[in-house]
Amino acid sequence: MPELIEKYYSLKELWKDLPKLDKSRKYLAGGTDLSISMAYGEDDSKVWVDISDIKELSVIEERGKEIFIGACVKISEFEKNPVIKKWAPALTESVKYYASPSIRNTATIGGNYANASPCADGVLAMAAMDAKVVLNLKGRRRILPLLSIVKGPKKIDLRKDELVEGFLIAKKKREALFFKMMARKRFGISKAGLCICYQKEKNALKEAAISLSSVAPSVIRAPKTENFLKNRIITPELIRQACEIIKNEISPIDDIRSQAYYRREIVSVFLERALGKIFS
Amino acid sequence: MNKENFSFVGKSLDRVDAEIKAEGRALYGDDLDFPGMLYAAAVRSPRPRIRIKSIDDSAARKVEGYAGLVSYKDVRGINKWPVVLNDYPFLPQDEARFHGETVALVAASSRRAAKKAASLVKINFEELPFIEDPLKALEKDSVKIYGKDNVISSFIIKKGDAEKAFKDCDIVIEKEFRTNYQVHAYLETQTATAVPESGGEMTVYSSTQCPFYVLDAVAAACGLPNNKVKIIQSVTGGGFGGKEDVPALVAAHAALCALKFKRPVRLAYDRKEDFMSMSKRHPSWSRVKYGADKNGRIKACKVKYVLDAGAYSTLSPIVLWRGTVHAAGPYNIENIEIETYAAATNKVPCGAYRGFGQPQICFAQESLIDDLAEKLAMDPIDLRMKNMLKTGDRTATGQKIDDSCGLKELAEIVRKKSGWDKSKVQTNGDKRRALGFSCVYYGVGLGAKGRYLDRAGAFVNIYRDGSVQVNVGNTEMGQGALTVLSQIAAETLNAPMKNIKLSEVDTSKVPDSGPTVASRTTLMSGNAIIEACLPLRENIFSCAASMLKAGKNQIKAFGGFFYFGKRKVSFEEAVKECWAQRLKMSEQGWYVAPKTTFDIKDGQGDAYVIYSYSADIADVEVDIKTGEKTVHKIYAAYDVGRLINPKLAYAQAHGGILQGMGWAIMENLVIKDGIMRNPNFTDYVLPISTDVPEYDISFVEKLYKHGPYKAKGMGEVPLIGVAAAIRNAVKKACGVSLTEAPMLAEKTLKAVKEKK
Repeated sequence: MPELIEKYYSLKELWKDLPKLDKSRKYLAGGTDLSISMAYGEDDSKVWVDISDIKELSVIEERGKEIFIGACVKISEFEKNPVIKKWAPALTESVKYYASPSIRNTATIGGNYANASPCADGVLAMAAMDAKVVLNLKGRRRILPLLSIVKGPKKIDLRKDELVEGFLIAKKKREALFFKMMARKRFGISKAGLCICYQKEKNALKEAAISLSSVAPSVIRAPKTENFLKNRIITPELIRQACEIIKNEISPIDDIRSQAYYRREIVSVFLERALGKIFS
Repeated sequence: MNKENFSFVGKSLDRVDAEIKAEGRALYGDDLDFPGMLYAAAVRSPRPRIRIKSIDDSAARKVEGYAGLVSYKDVRGINKWPVVLNDYPFLPQDEARFHGETVALVAASSRRAAKKAASLVKINFEELPFIEDPLKALEKDSVKIYGKDNVISSFIIKKGDAEKAFKDCDIVIEKEFRTNYQVHAYLETQTATAVPESGGEMTVYSSTQCPFYVLDAVAAACGLPNNKVKIIQSVTGGGFGGKEDVPALVAAHAALCALKFKRPVRLAYDRKEDFMSMSKRHPSWSRVKYGADKNGRIKACKVKYVLDAGAYSTLSPIVLWRGTVHAAGPYNIENIEIETYAAATNKVPCGAYRGFGQPQICFAQESLIDDLAEKLAMDPIDLRMKNMLKTGDRTATGQKIDDSCGLKELAEIVRKKSGWDKSKVQTNGDKRRALGFSCVYYGVGLGAKGRYLDRAGAFVNIYRDGSVQVNVGNTEMGQGALTVLSQIAAETLNAPMKNIKLSEVDTSKVPDSGPTVASRTTLMSGNAIIEACLPLRENIFSCAASMLKAGKNQIKAFGGFFYFGKRKVSFEEAVKECWAQRLKMSEQGWYVAPKTTFDIKDGQGDAYVIYSYSADIADVEVDIKTGEKTVHKIYAAYDVGRLINPKLAYAQAHGGILQGMGWAIMENLVIKDGIMRNPNFTDYVLPISTDVPEYDISFVEKLYKHGPYKAKGMGEVPLIGVAAAIRNAVKKACGVSLTEAPMLAEKTLKAVKEKK
């Protein structure tokens, strides 16, 4: 823990007080990554600015043609929330793979994003739904494509004090499948992950958005594979070809969690199993 | 005594420490508090091997609450931690030999200040060439970091003439195997609190398996006589071997700080430093060779076995020795040649972990036996049955197996329960599911290499109200020792269980009883308790008989009461009468293990006092497109002599199996360029509840005549054979003969693809 944790309940209060706080400060949402960073000597900020109970950041609501998910919404809320179930099924699908129940009750979707990990499960799900991120700095908002400011592990182009306020996802009919390979069955970090959001039309995919985790410096999309699959009649041969394309579309690395060759294989197996399941 | 007449032994009684642990009342190392206590933190070597030029704490001095620096200059005794070979300095003077080694300590008024100060201490150093690979360490032209050849310890066993015998074999098979580290992952990290006493004495509260090792180390570091050092074991949150040797070092560090600052000092490790600097299961390399005739009679076995010991010897010589003795497997083989080495590397020193050098070589030889069966086109259990040790056979060291040997029965039990004979590989989409077998023999206790430590004491004191205080020198670390030993005391005295009070060890109350390791506690402390209880029993039974107006042999004793006809007296009433007659109501017990031998020239001798046995069948499913494994079920059968507490024996089995499974398929510590890359539970992945297989556990109680109520030893046994059983199931399921543990999905998938 730092020497001071300042807690706020509204954005108005936050923006008013922020200039008074020590410059060495970080936002604290669920704290499931931040507290570990500090324990491991990777964070030495003097103040944590606790935003976890700011009301505006904790809502899930429909806003016209989009839904808004506040940055401080806890992961476990995705499991049963009807708006999420209806409009963001990839998030619902992701929950059971997401850490442990106790972490899910604490960790937030905004933290999952701002931590900028290539294995972020929530980001994987949102990326396949073309989500946008809403940033807020003292009331000035920027709305950007989700992945546009994520630059690599723990690297994100946020301005000083800029806050992730939430995410926007278009209200669009879609179904989702979520796959994640871990070193054990549950409660693990992905060696590779795949999320596909799709609209099926008879034997073809009218829409197919595929996002991948842990195979690049950040969560990515697989545009070549998506384009290849779009509106094609799905046959075993086409699935085989798509699996080859996705394998070659990515450049994963060897690290302590897995190997490049394995990540390629797994992504292709996931795609094969996803398509198999959709058209079974 | 026959089983049915026992009041407490053989009963699944609740743990005596269950409530205080479940309710959070137990005081673990970091829960204790002392007035004026300082907190210490370690300053650690930043590189695998350095020459220390100087240590500068000028920046740390600015931290509020900073008390000061403790370095090798503050060691009052000889700067060598007494373990086995005494090569590990309490604090290094010139050279630090692994990344994370404690170079100095700081103390401050709070934990935070101490950590901060430690991070500000600057070690000025020169980097030295280091060795990471144990096989390279053994090469002639390697950098020498330990003696003239980097060999910490080496053993041979020679029986018959293996080379000659291989020539007459119809089938010979030889393979190399590797296994990786295993981290104990005890819930409570290493913790010690040193409290200087007014007369110059030092009391240390330590989370430990081996309070007497801690005593030796603290006395040596502080230059104090043993009678001025008292070690009190704090309630210990897990050990598994990881609290065998190293708590002594942690405690010595705390004591050096307490000595210098004249205040109580707490040294509690965080998880990262615990990973980096504390003991581990040794990584291993081995080459194993078996030769058999065409009927499957194994004629010869040759093993070369190398352990990666790390930078200091700690327990490596004796870990290696256990591995050496068991390296040929539980088989009756006439010609055996085993050579083993513990090689020094510039990495964290490895030591004890449940199984103590045996699981690694068991993984290798039990895998190779399966491959031999395949070559012989024989059923793997049939092949083993033909060669398995039975009463009257001789082990690799030439020791004759006595009549407490149930190995064949164990194999038959798991074979029958698992449906082995009718089982086939099951296919379900990309999944393949099959069974794999392994079997193990296990020398109980320290054996010939540790025989000088193989004794234990007990003190039993019966108060006038019939309550009983029992002190022993072996520890409770989660395994249930307090309960099992209480049952033995209650049974022997015919005292109600609730009257028995056994506590964590206090070294001022019992003589040095050796370590709490090697599945020896029930056997050694159990026998010591019986020894102490017998004269007390004599007094109590005599008084009870006279109160009942009966002859001593006429009364019946059961469940804390004495009966004669319709009359009965309670234990408490009998004790009161003993006191009224001024009989001696406290006794010391002392148990010395029977003689063991090991001839260093050829490795022949009676290595252990007795053997326990196990057989495992793993039911494993492999996804052939991802290499993932699901261990559905483990059928295990054990012969550990009499079960003092069946419920606790089952719990030992469950825990051991799960640890064995974790080591076999997922736990993977990565050290690259001498630096540990995943010292945390995010990336060092342990099995959790969702990975737990179904357990089918059986026991065959082959009684051991020298055991307390004829028990042998249980603790380490259930882990040892699990990895090989899983490996053999994977082989049967998808046809790949894996030779490395952990059998990560990555490696398995590669092997499956290469096979195609």
